[in-house]
Amino acid sequence: MSFLSLVGIEFKKIRRSKILLILTVSTIILWLPSIFNANLNFGMQAEGISPENNFLIQGFMGMAWFMFPASMVVSTVLLNMTERSNKGILKMLSLPIATSRLCLAKFVVLIALAAFQILMTVLMYFVSAGIVSQTQDYNFILQPLFVFKEAGLIFISAIPMLAFFWFLSVCIQTPIFSIGVGLASIVPSVLLINTKIWFAYPMAYPFFVITAEYGKLASNLTAAQVEFIPWIPVAIVITILCLSISCLCFGQAERR
Amino acid sequence: MSFSLECKKVKRTGFTPAFLSGGLLAAIVPVLNMTVRSENYLGLHATPVQILMDANWQMMTMLNILLIVAGACLMYHTEYADNAIRRMCTLPMKESRLFFGKVTLMMLMCTVILIIEAASVAFCSYHWFELTHEVWIEIMKSFGYALLLIFPSAFGSLFIASACKNMWVSLGIGVVCVFTATMLPTKNFVLSLFPFALPFQIFAGTAENTACNFMIAALAEILIIGIAEVLFLKVRRSFE
Repeated sequence: MSFLSLVGIEFKKIRRSKILLILTVSTIILWLPSIFNANLNFGMQAEGISPENNFLIQGFMGMAWFMFPASMVVSTVLLNMTERSNKGILKMLSLPIATSRLCLAKFVVLIALAAFQILMTVLMYFVSAGIVSQTQDYNFILQPLFVFKEAGLIFISAIPMLAFFWFLSVCIQTPIFSIGVGLASIVPSVLLINTKIWFAYPMAYPFFVITAEYGKLASNLTAAQVEFIPWIPVAIVITILCLSISCLCFGQAERR
Repeated sequence: MSFSLECKKVKRTGFTPAFLSGGLLAAIVPVLNMTVRSENYLGLHATPVQILMDANWQMMTMLNILLIVAGACLMYHTEYADNAIRRMCTLPMKESRLFFGKVTLMMLMCTVILIIEAASVAFCSYHWFELTHEVWIEIMKSFGYALLLIFPSAFGSLFIASACKNMWVSLGIGVVCVFTATMLPTKNFVLSLFPFALPFQIFAGTAENTACNFMIAALAEILIIGIAEVLFLKVRRSFE
């Protein structure tokens, strides 16, 4: 069985899970306060950022800080629970397929869900920017290329985080611990982005990257900028480590 | 009977250790914050408890609510996972007693985690400020208030968890609610009445009148969610 068809099967499994609905609703809620408080964007002279940039970045910061990581924890729960309820995993393990490929196929689905949520955020951004442009009589809509660049940065920097969450949900069998550790690990990322060791903490990557972008756009602010050298190697090592451990652990508890 | 049954059910799910470690994690926040940045807080003109709560309460509450949401999902997950709830429904007792048994356990756990956090705030006041008789009373008042205000979110998350068969749906809705609560301004009275936004309120520094309003609102919400759950179960049962 090719890897692609495995991924296709995983997508079929979550078809009726309503996860897309949850991911979409969360992006709508994300932009609502920005629409109501749109006039605040004009009072950002101290930071030296233009209203339209501020509108985009504030929304993306809200997403990268809590909503996006937390939704991804929920997605890992979904991917695991669809198999474990009614013992579907036993049937999958009895098939002549390498378990590591099964595990990776599920991880691909997780990445696709992340991409979906970021795309929905971008879509909702254009909708809300359109609404705000009407209400405030000022053009809030930015170049699509720029918006997609920012969204893409969040997505790429989130991959180590996704690998870590996937590692948690595969290796910790007790659901409350995997959820609890995942959710609790999001909260300190606000503090860690201000320290020198931020690159060792994958949950802080998306928020750090978007804060750095904020620093670039706001001429009067000096936010810490991304330094590739300790970061990229560390991120790659974390990703590979998390994925290989989860590939090894996948299905171990059921096979015993 | 219902309550002791609930305690037995969660025995091997890791519920109690999760709450204890979550409470400890939240309790570490003020200690860590004071160790690293005590110079930011020592010169302020306010009571020690107010300084400590202003600096740390948001993060501590965030951890508390996330813990409650995850715990509530888990409690109902054990029921729904292997259709155990069907058996519970055949017992000669009302289905809502299941909910209230779980609520009692959750309230007990909330009390435990808030006691752990109160102890940590007391330690911080003792170590970095001075621990007078008034500080003790203020800590007790603050955490009593926090305890009352955290109950609506416990009720709310258990209500969501009881309504959804799948764990990720209830967890997803819970997470979206917590996220909404973080986006709401805490100064706006009407908006902060959202059950998941209430625990972010701080007693120290709040006018007595406002604090009183919040307490009445919390009690009203508890009552409303309780009634809503009973009605919901009746309606759902009649359609099964």
